[in-house]
Amino acid sequence: MRVGRGLVGAVAAVLGAAVAVGCAPVQSKPVGGAANSPDHATGTLRVWLFDEANRAPKEAVVREAAAEFESAHPGVRVDVQYVQVDSRAERFKAAFNDPRSAPDVAEFGNTDLAGYVAAGGFADLGADLASWTEARDLTPSVLDTARVDGKTYATPWYVGVRALYYRTDVFEELGLRPPRSAAELVETARRIRERRPDLYGISVGGKYTYAMLPFLWSAGGDLARRDGANWVSTVDQEPARAGISRYAELLRDDVCPPAQCAQMTGSSSVQAFAAGKAAMTVGGDFNRKAVDAGVAAGKYAVVPLPGEREGSVAPAFAGGNLLGVLRGTERRTLAVAFTKLLAGKKYQRKMFEAMGNLPTFTDLQREVAEGQPFQRPFVDTLAAGTRFVPATPAWAKIDAQAVLPTAVQEIATGAKTAPEATRAAAERMNAAFRS
Amino acid sequence: MRWLRRPGRAAAEVLTVVIAGVVAFPLYWMVLTALKPEGEVLSANPRPWTLAPTWDNFHRVLTVSGFGRFFLNSVVVALVVVALSLVLSFLAAVALTRFRFRGRTVLLVMLLVAQMVPVEALTIPLFFVMRIVGETAPVFGVNHLGSLVLVHLAFSLPFAVWMLRGFVAAVPVELEEAAALDGASRFRFTWQVLFPIVAPGLVASSVLSFIHAWNDFLFAKTFVTVEESQTLPLAILVFFKPDQNDWGAIMAGSTLMTIPVLVFFVLVQRRLVSGLAGAVKG
Amino acid sequence: MSAGDGMTTTRRGDALAAARYLAPAALVLVGLLGYPMYQLVLISFYDYGQEQASAGAPLTFIGFDNYQRLFSEPQFWGVLGQTVAFAAACVAGTLLVGGALAVLASRVRAVPRTLLFLAALGAWATPAVAGSTVWLFLFDADLGLVNEVLVGLGIHDMAGYSWTYDKLVAFALVAGEVIWCSFPFVMVTLYAGIRAIPAEVLEAATLDGASTWRATRSVVLPLLRPLIAVATIQSIIWDFKLFTQIYVMTGGGGVAGQNLVLNVYAYQQAFAASDYGLGSAIGVVMTVVLLVVTLFYLRALRRRGEELA
Repeated sequence: MRVGRGLVGAVAAVLGAAVAVGCAPVQSKPVGGAANSPDHATGTLRVWLFDEANRAPKEAVVREAAAEFESAHPGVRVDVQYVQVDSRAERFKAAFNDPRSAPDVAEFGNTDLAGYVAAGGFADLGADLASWTEARDLTPSVLDTARVDGKTYATPWYVGVRALYYRTDVFEELGLRPPRSAAELVETARRIRERRPDLYGISVGGKYTYAMLPFLWSAGGDLARRDGANWVSTVDQEPARAGISRYAELLRDDVCPPAQCAQMTGSSSVQAFAAGKAAMTVGGDFNRKAVDAGVAAGKYAVVPLPGEREGSVAPAFAGGNLLGVLRGTERRTLAVAFTKLLAGKKYQRKMFEAMGNLPTFTDLQREVAEGQPFQRPFVDTLAAGTRFVPATPAWAKIDAQAVLPTAVQEIATGAKTAPEATRAAAERMNAAFRS
Repeated sequence: MRWLRRPGRAAAEVLTVVIAGVVAFPLYWMVLTALKPEGEVLSANPRPWTLAPTWDNFHRVLTVSGFGRFFLNSVVVALVVVALSLVLSFLAAVALTRFRFRGRTVLLVMLLVAQMVPVEALTIPLFFVMRIVGETAPVFGVNHLGSLVLVHLAFSLPFAVWMLRGFVAAVPVELEEAAALDGASRFRFTWQVLFPIVAPGLVASSVLSFIHAWNDFLFAKTFVTVEESQTLPLAILVFFKPDQNDWGAIMAGSTLMTIPVLVFFVLVQRRLVSGLAGAVKG
Repeated sequence: MSAGDGMTTTRRGDALAAARYLAPAALVLVGLLGYPMYQLVLISFYDYGQEQASAGAPLTFIGFDNYQRLFSEPQFWGVLGQTVAFAAACVAGTLLVGGALAVLASRVRAVPRTLLFLAALGAWATPAVAGSTVWLFLFDADLGLVNEVLVGLGIHDMAGYSWTYDKLVAFALVAGEVIWCSFPFVMVTLYAGIRAIPAEVLEAATLDGASTWRATRSVVLPLLRPLIAVATIQSIIWDFKLFTQIYVMTGGGGVAGQNLVLNVYAYQQAFAASDYGLGSAIGVVMTVVLLVVTLFYLRALRRRGEELA
């Protein structure tokens, strides 16, 4: 009954602690900042990377980097743990609440950055990047996704952007050409559905915010602007509203009927295209495998998503993952050095070869597009300049509350007019910014 | 059951099989999806069969690194939780049914309240509790299987107590009085008479505890970050991606997760209901 | 000890014996549920986010501000109302299907019964995400089998029919999935209850010449009442707190949030952005609502002469 006795002891400890803690909510013990933490030059460097369904190629590259690092730093062992993307919220919260179980270096999604920084989780790497020569070649708009309030908290590891997938056989049959402007995109989608009513002109969804944002940005609008220390929503102002309305035009019976499309997400939009139900969709370089597995395989091509102006490229949302150093680390110098190694050009090239992850260095992007024609439209989209969501923890809330999908759905279903829906969205965004 | 009329039975049995078929259909679809090649999982022509079955999806799940370890961890956690929860909840149920004392009703309602709180709201305070526990008894601390056993035990107890209470209450008091007349101690009566009688009730509550512990994603990802203590659901989480979920693999993994529960149920059903209850009644 | 002085009457030794029997469970429950629940109530009075949890920011006591924020939100009241209605429908459906099938199972021989139990157990054991997704696949507007079959049967209007677009249809579909995966619990419980009824009691009833239905109603049902009550209370608690089914099947709350229920609402408004103060307040409100509903139910039982608690 050793376990039994341990159980009793454990619970008794809890009760004791409850009494001792007293009458305020529990908190973690304060995390040591850079100033009072030690900076060991040896020992175990703990690294968290995201797990992948097919992890072997990623693991091989990382193991190679770790071996290189260990031989350059005697007495150092790199311990890599793989974290499921879907469990990241709990994992990182646990790491921030219990620094002892936290890693030194971690991979994470760039949309999570603002929340992690607000929680005091990551160290400012601005000075470290400034003294790193390779960092000069980082694509500026991608490096922006690692910044909060002007400080850089991570280095971009790879980037993902979306472009326009279209069915070459359908376009040929109907004598169409890939659209060269947002207006032409809507027109083309309508003509396809008119002549091929079994297809959606383009499959996009009310919940596919990353497909909607390029329309909003290319119309000259933005999600929010800085006003001193605060953010103020701008989605109810004319250019943004026009962009959202343009996108909502796609969610009509004559393109992609709201009954089916109002609830579609990014992956269900791509799924409909892959299943042969749509003539076009908005998809990322990371969606290629799904499309190639469906009936659309071999019958599609990709071009950058057209913007408002004829021949322009709509600014894409720059998704991707970053590598950062945790603020509570006791091996800051080593952690920064390993981050530079793994996120450097050499290993980004290897990661592209292993996993198809688009590099974050402009010169490297151009290089990989040469060898892989499929990557061309995505690299061109990157080159045309990407945008990002407001770097504030409030964005996580706005995203969770489905503020923008709700507005798009309201316009698409006719529940509200565009001015009403965008005004309501702006109010909810502002409430989130204030809280 | 002799009290039933015979003529209606054939019809009832046909109906039972039809209903079983309807209930099982989504399960069949899950297994089918797991066996379909990737392009067929969602296609414009859904078919209740596949001409090109493939083990690819199962293969992807089974080769998630650490799968065997995760599986073993899950089995250990679920079985320990079921065993502890049966004993603890049976004792508590007897106390709450057979003994009269002040505050009994309050305790019973408290057990209900404990189940009403949304679990998500409790994870942060629980996390801190587990950290304190870990400082005194490391086996039960964060990152150890013991932490999962403890939380699942805590979350399955209130229900199990309520459940068993119903069964204990259904045992006629006369039986107890007769035992008392025979000179049986309360302890002996509890274990040798009462426990076997409520065995059918133990099935429902142990299956439920098992399923809760077995299928849990939330605690598994909150309290355990190291790979050696992770449980099975985390092997499936790998296939959830913000941009593109791998449904074939998720269905294969879910199929693999459902099978042990069925096995557990069949075992429990045979041992407890047919064995114990039958012995007592016979 | 006299014969009349059975174990169920109050004795001095009872409290002590009860304490001994209760102690192990109480120890676990107080430490791992009681204390966190106390923390939950405390946190609901604070501005408590991830920064506060990891001690990056000081704690601020804000009194009832979290509650006020919640109550002044018109959407909250709408969501609360439809949560109650939706949960009630799920509870009623679950009990009806589970109860009917338990009786049916007790009337058939082992083979069909085992088939039914295995199917039900499978439905019960399937991880909620997988179960919801399979239902969604089957009912997909363009790619689902259900619409395909309905069109094949000549109902051409069903081509491309979206089961998740209309608010009530979407709720009905989710309720179907919820009943599918929760009736097995009721069925297994009540079936166990039927099996636990001593054979002599049932034989006595049939010897009296009562029909099966009468025997069921007048003998079985009263004996099962405590179990039905437990199953009802548990179903109320679970169905009121549904999350995964709504979240997965209606894509996080349906078109423009029309299918939101409280737990999903709490996630959207609070937990997703680590606003534990507000989230705890919602948790407290949910607990209070559930407690009131349950106490009403317990009181109704007591009025009917059934002492449950």
